Parts: sequence; structure tokens; C-alpha cells
Amino acid sequence: MDDNVYQVETDDLSGRFLLFYIGETTYSLPLTHVIEIINIQHITKIPNVPYYVKGIVNLRGKVVPVSDVRLKFNQPERPYDDKTCIVVVLISDMNVGLIVDSVAEVVSIERTNMAPPPTAGHRGGESYLDSVSQLNGKVILNIDCDKFFQSDLAELFPDSD
Amino acid sequence: MTTIDPGMEALLETFVYESNTMLEQLDEIMLESERAQNISHENIDSIFRIMHTVKGSAAMMGFNGISGLAHSVEDIFFIIRETPEKLGIVFNALFDLVFQTSDFLKREIEKIQNGDFEESDPGALVALLHQQAAIMKGEEAPAESPIPATAGAAAAAEKTVEGAEDFHKVRVYFEDDCQMENMRAFMLLNQISHCCDAIESVPANPEADSSLCADIIRDGFLILFKPTETFDDVIKIIESSLNVKSYEVIRDEAAPPAKESAGPAAAGPGEAKTGTAPSGGSGGQTPSPGGKSGSIQSLISVNQVKLDQLMDLVGELVTAESIVASNPDLKGLKLDNFHKSTREMRKLTDELQDVVMSIRMVPLTATFQKMNRIVRDMCKKLDKKVELVTYGGETEVDKTINDSIADPFMHMIRNAIDHAIESPEERRALGKPEIGTVTLNARNAGGEILIDVADDGRGLDPEVLLNKARNNGLLIKPESEYTEKEIYQLIMMPGFSTNTEVTEYSGRGVGMDVVRKNVEKVGGSISIHSARNEGTTFTIKIPLTLAIVDGMNISVGSTVFTLPITSIKQSFKISDAKQVLYNTDGAEMILLRGDCYPIIRLHDLFGIDTEKQDMMEGIMIQVESANTIAVLFADELLGEYQVVVKPFPTFFNKYSLKEQGLSGCSILGDGSISLILDVGNLMSAQ
Repeated sequence: MDDNVYQVETDDLSGRFLLFYIGETTYSLPLTHVIEIINIQHITKIPNVPYYVKGIVNLRGKVVPVSDVRLKFNQPERPYDDKTCIVVVLISDMNVGLIVDSVAEVVSIERTNMAPPPTAGHRGGESYLDSVSQLNGKVILNIDCDKFFQSDLAELFPDSD
Repeated sequence: MTTIDPGMEALLETFVYESNTMLEQLDEIMLESERAQNISHENIDSIFRIMHTVKGSAAMMGFNGISGLAHSVEDIFFIIRETPEKLGIVFNALFDLVFQTSDFLKREIEKIQNGDFEESDPGALVALLHQQAAIMKGEEAPAESPIPATAGAAAAAEKTVEGAEDFHKVRVYFEDDCQMENMRAFMLLNQISHCCDAIESVPANPEADSSLCADIIRDGFLILFKPTETFDDVIKIIESSLNVKSYEVIRDEAAPPAKESAGPAAAGPGEAKTGTAPSGGSGGQTPSPGGKSGSIQSLISVNQVKLDQLMDLVGELVTAESIVASNPDLKGLKLDNFHKSTREMRKLTDELQDVVMSIRMVPLTATFQKMNRIVRDMCKKLDKKVELVTYGGETEVDKTINDSIADPFMHMIRNAIDHAIESPEERRALGKPEIGTVTLNARNAGGEILIDVADDGRGLDPEVLLNKARNNGLLIKPESEYTEKEIYQLIMMPGFSTNTEVTEYSGRGVGMDVVRKNVEKVGGSISIHSARNEGTTFTIKIPLTLAIVDGMNISVGSTVFTLPITSIKQSFKISDAKQVLYNTDGAEMILLRGDCYPIIRLHDLFGIDTEKQDMMEGIMIQVESANTIAVLFADELLGEYQVVVKPFPTFFNKYSLKEQGLSGCSILGDGSISLILDVGNLMSAQ
């Protein structure tokens, strides 16, 4: 597909992370969850869902829901541009698209280079961080996919935990 | 056995399918016969044939338990076939046994299907079946046949026996691991009892104590008997008996030498004197599937996955066809021949689709018939009298739908019999007919199928339901605001159970909740009507087919909706703002040919931004579902398309899009997605 910016290889993915930007902040997603990255495309809105769930897109005949990470992180909305990407991730056997400002690169982060996020000082909101890393002088916030989707999946699989 | 020969795997599927079909047929015949209190000659033959085929194919696959059990049933029906008058002796016991057998076999086959080849031991059933066979052969009640209980220690028995001069002694060894040796010994005694004047055994009364198994395994089972006719008759029976590994004749007197006459015993393949397994013989025997009557049309069974693939492909083809026919590149061109060709192609794809659809359609009859069995079993267990009446079994539904509604039916019927229908005494006191009725009624209604599951029991009590819901913390708004309909819907909430006592059949509080989920999975819905002491009716509404819908695409803002053609009555524009009336609460209405209908603004309902807020600019579409009519307001009509229905991603399950009137989505020719409207839910969501 032409609009694929990047197609992920399926070799050893553990310890490797996809970096993406929301504003000036760098976040990372474990590559084991990432299926592919596509350009932003027409999103069909679904009524009466949380504000950060933007709707559904057609991914080669498959209907995939998309969430806006910016909104999920309680940051102001901004218009999509040609750098805006949808990162399709696999969570609980479902494909879900994540709208991010732009994607950067794939990096390897050692487990030793991951500091746990603070447990105190939350402002009552949810935290989706797995850990914080520093790489080449850059701070990277590593996202925990399970935590990220916890509220979306909570009622889907009530028996699971 | 825990694994299966890889070469057999291909056969396995056929075996499972064939056996299931046969067992269902068996259930059907047995139910019919039980009702008639007689088994017709034809049916006896059918049962015999079914069991024979199951036995043969199971043996071929190496499922000895199944084949052994089938063999025992076959034995019984062999006797019945030869001497039908003996049926009366064992009629009731026999039916229960055959049903148990059928259940056992179904369970086993299900296990096999799930890749679990650990066989259960049918020994108990086989023993019981043999008992019945013995009763029929001997016309003697089994309890009376063994010698009066001497409650004997083995030693004592031995002593008495030693004194008996003209007793023959035979020591029988059972197969290793055949289990329940004491029962098998008892069966053997029964079998030979009718051709012996007197029998003794060591140990005596083997059936009384299962701890004797160990003794029997170690020392064998010693039988002492005085034959009525000849010694050979008895030996023949011992030879043909199931699970007998070997036997030795103990001669302490001049007994006639045992002739090697392993003549065909009463039933089936001759088990060798030291035959390894009962099925060893039948394995070599060709099952006779050709016994099925020749009038059956030639049918082939196809893997459902392939059918699903075919359906998907046809769906894609239909989409591709409309992409070609309405390709934007063709805009403005004069293409008479092209359009003629595309029309031709459309006709063919339509036809193709119809055929594929019809392949997937199955009548509900089989599902309905399965319910007979549940009613029968429950009535026996609960001591209630219930009759199942079915209408419209010939109604056809998509196979997927058919499969996923069988369980809900079962639950609902169980609930009805367990909770709703009163005991015969109670019913008499209420002036109702003693026999309760559960009705299954299926009918076509437009693009949908309605199936009623109705009972004439005590009905739902809103008070009780509310109390219960309150206790379980299921109420989400003040009690006084609940309408009767909403109260009934409460019973389908997770964690709701109306019966305080948990019974074997229902009342775990998962029933109706699961029912609703299963029905919703195939795009259906359930509504409940109930009247005190008159009964409850559950109406299940399911789509005729899941796959392809003829729809009118309409736009609202940037969103495209697909409205199923079957629910559209007409569309029109209004030229005069005065045509729109306002209800006292400000709700918009419209008067059409003397009737007043509500107007539903789709952009308001779904919170979509659109420029066309004025009724004069947009389009009005009059829609109908289940006798309710409303008028939808949308931006414009985009044209008629066939769309392939795709369910929403599971991600959206918790947002109950169905209740809001969205039944699914569909990918349009240009790659964009439309939302498919469900008019019925749309109107009730208002």
C-alpha cells in the first residue's frame, strides 16, 4: 500500500521501541505491539463514544477503530497535517489505530535504562507510563500499552481480571 | 488413546459430522416413538442401522468406547427386530437408556471434536444395556435371576459348590482394564441364567460390592452352573459376551468336551475366544452407510469455513462490481454499451449472491427438534407436564445464525419449564390445563425473522423482579421510573437470577444474560411480553442473513449512513415549512396522508455537524420497522447500493452502538466507511 510510511519487520522485536511525538514530547511504544504505520486518512465518526475515540478507518478492507493519543493525554486538539500518522497496534487480539503527531524512529532501549515513573504526585488522572528512559540526551516516555487501553478494554472483558 | 493417526485426521471430520447427524436422527426417532408409545418396524430398522454405522465407523477410527456402546444398543435392537413383541417388557427403561447412550456418544464426539481423545468409560451404560438385553432374552427380571442371596463369604460358597456333583465349572477372565468387572460378571450371570437350571458363582452376588473387582481381576470369576440344555449353549454365550478375555473349563468330572463352534452368536461379529476387544471384530466389518434409503438426494457436506470464504469473496465481488460500475473516471462519458454490460454483470452477481446465500440457509426444524429432547428430559426430572409446540420450523436462516441461536433457545426453554411453568397440581388449582405448553413460533417479517418462545406459565412479576434487581444492585435509576418493559429487560442483566434456588438446569444467573449476548452477536434483539398467570413470550428478532444488505446510502454532514431498503417506505422533500408540526414538548412531527409521524433528525441524534439544518434543504425518509413508522431527516440521498455488512470492531462493544440504531458498518466502493442504520433500534433510541 502506497501510503505506508513504514512497514515493520517481524524479526526480533523485543527491547525495540517506536518513538513518536506528541507536541515536543517523545513517547515510545513497544514494537511488539505495533502492526504498521499509515498516513492519516478519512475517519468515519462514530457517535456517542469518548471524545478521544475518533472513529473507524478502512485498513485494506478491515475496519479499525482509531484513538487520538493527544486527546487521550488531555492535550489540546490540533488539526491533522501530512506528518500526522496512525500507528496500528495489536491489543487483546484487536487492531486499534493511534493518531500521533508524527513518528520518529525505532530504537533499542535496555531494560536497565528504564526508570519507573513516580508513584506519587498524580493529579487524579490515569498514568499510562511504563517507565522513563534517556537516550542520546533525549527523554523518552515509554508507554505501557495495556495500561493505555485499560479503560477501553475494562468492560469488554469483564472476566479477565 | 490420546493421539490419533495423522492419516485419520481427514476422516475424523467426516466421522464427527456423520455421527452427529446420525445421533440427532436417533433422538428424533426415539422421541417420536416414545410419544407413540411404540417403535415402528421401520424405525427399529433405522435405529439398528444408525447404531451399526456409528459402531463401524467408531471402530475404524479406533474409538473403542463408542463402538462398544453402539454395539450394545445394536444388540438390543437386534433382539427387538427379531422379536418385536418383547419390546413391551423393557419399553420405558429402554428409552431412558438409549437417550443416555445418545448423550454419552454426543459428549464423546464433542470431546473428539475438541481434540481430546481421552475416552470415557461407557461400562456402566453397557452393563445396563446388557441387562435389558438379558431381560428381553430371558424375560426374567434381573434382580430375581441370581440365586437367593447367600450373602456368602467366598469360602462358604465354595464349600456348598464343591458338594454339587453335576455342576459345570467355568472360570472367566475379563479383559485387562475393562473396569467394573463385578458388573460385567453380573451381566454374564444374567446372560447365561436362562439356559441354566441353577447357577452359583464365586464370588456370589458380584454386583453388590464393587470391591470384588480386584478379586475378579486376580482370580477370575468362577461360575458353576447346571445347563438346561447343553453345556455348549452356555459356553457360546460366554464366548460372545463382551469383554471376556478368556475362560477355562474346570473339569473335575467328565463333561462333554467343548466343541470349537464359535457360531454366530445372537448378535454381530463373532468375538473370538480370546478376542482383544469387542470392536476388534467389528473393525473389519464394513459399515453400511449404503443402508440409508436410496431416495435421499445426493448431498455433499462442505466445511463451513469454505462457505464463509465463498461468502466473503462474493461480498468483495459485489463491492468491486460497484466500484467498476460507478467509477469516477467514467463520469460524464456516454457509455451505453458499457452500462448494458455492467447491468448484465450486476444481474449475475446478484444471482450468484442469492445462490451462495441459499447454500448457507438451513431450516430451523433441526434446532426446534433438538428442543423436544430438552423438554422431555426436564419434564422427567422436574415432574412437570409440558408439551412443546412448534410452528414455522421450515423458516430458513443463515447457518451461522442457526448455530448461535440453538443455545439461547435451550436456555429459554429450560427457564420456561423450570421457573415459569407450574407443577401439575398448581396448574389445576389455577384452572389451567394440567399440561403446560411451550411454543416456538418462527416467522418471516421483511428482512427479519421473528421467533417467539412462549410459555403459559405464571408470568413475570414486576414486583419480584424489581426487588431482586434492587438486592443485586442492578438498578440504575429511581424505581418509579422503570416502565414494565424495562423491568422485564432486567432479567437479561448479568448477575440476575429469578429463582432463589439453584437447580440443575437453570438459575445460575447467567442464563438470560448469555442468551441476550448470543442473540446480539448475530445482530438480533430480544423483547419480552408477560402477563400474570398467562405466561411469558420472548420474541427474538434476528436478521435473515448477516452478510449483504440492499441499502440506500444517505449523507449527513460528512458521515454516510446506509439505510436497509426493506425499512424504507418512501422519501420526499418538503416545500413548505408549515408541514412540520410541533408536539407540546417541542418535538417535530409531520402529517402524511392523515397520519402523524415523529421526525428524527439524524444529525441531532448522532451529534453530527451539518450545514443542512433546515428541513426544506434536506431530504425526508419515511421508515418502518415492526409497525412503527417515523420520518428521518438527512442531508441527501446518495443512491442505492449493495453493501457487505461488517460488524463494528469489538473495541466498541461497550458503547452499545446497537441500541443507538447502528447495526454495523460497511466499506463503500471508494474505500470510505458507511454506518448501517437499524431502524427499529433507531426509533426506540429516540
